[in-house]
Formats: sequence, C-alpha cells, structure tokens
Amino acid sequence: MAHVITSPCRNEKAAECTEVCPVDAIQPGDDQYYINPDRCIDCAACVPVCPVNAIFFDEDVPEEERDYIKKNELFFAV
Amino acid sequence: MNGELYDVTIVGGGPIGLFASFYGGMRQLKVKIIESLPQLGGQLAALYPEKYIYDVAGFPKVKAQDLVDHLKEQALYFKPAVVLGETVQEFERLDDGTFRLMTDKNIHYTKTILITAGIGSFQPRKLNLENAAVYEEKNLHYFVQNVNRFQGKKVCILGGGDSAVDWALTLESVASHVTLVHRRNKFRAHEASVEQLKNSRVEILTPYTITGLSGGEEIEAVTLEHTETKETINVELDELIVNYGFVSSLGPLKKWGLNLHKNSIVTNASMETNIEGIYAAGDIVHYEGKVKLIVTGFGDAATAISSIKAYVDPDARKQPQHSTSIFEKLTV
Repeated sequence: MAHVITSPCRNEKAAECTEVCPVDAIQPGDDQYYINPDRCIDCAACVPVCPVNAIFFDEDVPEEERDYIKKNELFFAV
Repeated sequence: MNGELYDVTIVGGGPIGLFASFYGGMRQLKVKIIESLPQLGGQLAALYPEKYIYDVAGFPKVKAQDLVDHLKEQALYFKPAVVLGETVQEFERLDDGTFRLMTDKNIHYTKTILITAGIGSFQPRKLNLENAAVYEEKNLHYFVQNVNRFQGKKVCILGGGDSAVDWALTLESVASHVTLVHRRNKFRAHEASVEQLKNSRVEILTPYTITGLSGGEEIEAVTLEHTETKETINVELDELIVNYGFVSSLGPLKKWGLNLHKNSIVTNASMETNIEGIYAAGDIVHYEGKVKLIVTGFGDAATAISSIKAYVDPDARKQPQHSTSIFEKLTV
C-alpha cells in the first residue's frame, strides 16, 4: 500500500509534497512527481498540500486514474 | 544522571514511548526516555499537531497535540528521566548483561532497551548546498532554541510551512528585520497565520529558491533565484533559519543486528526482538498480524513493559494487576 500521484500533477509539478514527505519518498520525473511505494509510510501528509489534488491512497485512486498506480511503481523499478 | 543504571531505556518519545514510560512507572521500573527531537510527541507533534485523530479508544475525536499533552502528563507522573535532542547510535552489552547505549552526545546505562522509534528518528531536512554544513554550528539554524539570540539581528527564514511562518511572526518583534523566503507564492501555513504575516513587517520574498551562501566564518548573505525569471538577488543577514520540515530514517538502528522485515523490527508476541534484553513496540514493529495504529501500539507497549518487568525482576508477575486496585498504593 502506498499513496499515488495521478494525472493532475502532469506539467503542474508544484512539488509541495516533496517538502512535507517525512521519508523523502517523492522524486521528480520528466512530466510529474512520483511516490516510491517501498518508502511511503501512508502518513498522508502530502495529500492536503497538493494544490491540484493529485494524490490519493492507492485504494482510493479514481477508476480513470488507476494506471498511475502502476506508473508510480514502474518509475522506481530497477 | 548519565552513569546511573536504568531498568528500561525507551528509544523514541512518540505516543507509544510515552505510554510505555507511564506503564513502566506503574510497574515500578526505573525509566528513561531518549528522543531525537527537542520535543516529545513524535509524528503527532512534529508532523500534524493540529489534525484530529478519530481512532484512539475513549476519544471520539482528539487533536494530535492534545493527545500528546495527555500522554505527556500520564508519562511524567512517575518522573522518568527525559532526554531530548539526542539520537541513539549504538549499544554495547557489558559483562553483567546490562547495556551501554551511545547517543550522538552522551552515554546511557540500562538493563533493557525498548525501541518505540516509529518510522525512525526525525532530523530536519537540510539545506542542499555544498558549504551549508560548515555553518551549522555558526549562524545556520534548523531549530530555534533561544529567541534572544536573534535580538536586533537581520534574520532570514527559508520555508513555506507553519514553522517558517510562525517563526517569522515570533521574531518580527525581536529581530531588527525578518525576511521570509519561499519557492512558491502560496504558503502552506494556517490561513490565519498567513493573513497575520501579510499585515506584519516581515519582508516576504516569493517565489525564490536559495542557490548560494556567502561569507567567511559565518554566513553573511544568501543568493536567491526567482523561480520564473531566474533573476538573482542577494540578501544580507546575521542569522539564517531553515524550516524545511523533517525527514526520518531508522539510521543507526539498522546496524544493530536486529531481525528486520522491510523497515520494521521483527518481534515475537512478547515484544522481544532477536537480541536478549532489547524489545520493540509500535509502528516500528513487525509480527504476524501486526496492524500499525496508535491503539495497537499502546497494546504493544503494555506487553513489552510486562515482558521487561519479568526480565528485570524474574519474581515479578507478568500479568499486571489492574490500575484501579494498585495505583494509589504505588510510590512515585
């Protein structure tokens, strides 16, 4: 389980989340930020600070955004 | 107090460490708590003091800081030794089976260790500039400990959250000039504080990021870059405060030889780790069926303390008596 960044982050990249993440789990990608699911502790500190409401707990990711769960995982896959 | 031998030293002053401290006192153990931050309360106090928690038994709704205050009152009843601002590094087992526990600042002696370190020790998120570290003992601050130090000075504060805004407002009347720098135009702090900020004498520079520090023995100025125009400016200062929040990690605990499962310490149902005399409780623990919640952590803490009592005093009963029947007879 982890939190997931979804499409509203694309080209927004406000990065507020990176400042509040207590485990430094959030890294920048080319078009959006990603949360490392192995580091995320589900504290949800990032959720309210996101100015575009892009971050969800994985079970709560809206149906049309569910591809982003895999996208977050793949970003950190070696 | 450092040479004194304690029955149990609790590593981590969050909610579980605080409750364990109380419970240890109730079982008449000599207790010490060591916390890496300058304050007790763990994540609750450091990350979300103003948020409401709804799943603590007996509290339909409780503000995180209020829960911390209650836990502190309960924990301090039996007068444990409280050590703040020290990060536990390593331990050594002495010939008599007790432990010598080293922090970054001191040495502590204890019969048992109870790790209630949650997601690890919190450290301030540091300035990511090459020469920043050398100024840490000088005029670069990640914590404000003594407001008087800033009397009549030019102070620059970096950050956009509550800590940055609150310190800007606090120091406004103490310092000769306060500059607050944030990389976005919008602050994350409470609306009321941001409103107060706008009506204050604090100079607000947004959206700027810091790109350089200049000075000799101490920092004399910072270089700021406008995030859109890339134009740079210099701000002269006497003191620099960085409030970029906290990061946490298990850090040195990972090298203790404890059985780990991902970033958690494996215990049995008695909260014993694989190292005799070392116990763990709360979010840092992994066992079959473990659920990471404040309430289950309280349970872990009571179990751990009962195991510790039996270890320290083999004649003691493991199943505690009820507080309703024994509490008033206990000596503080």
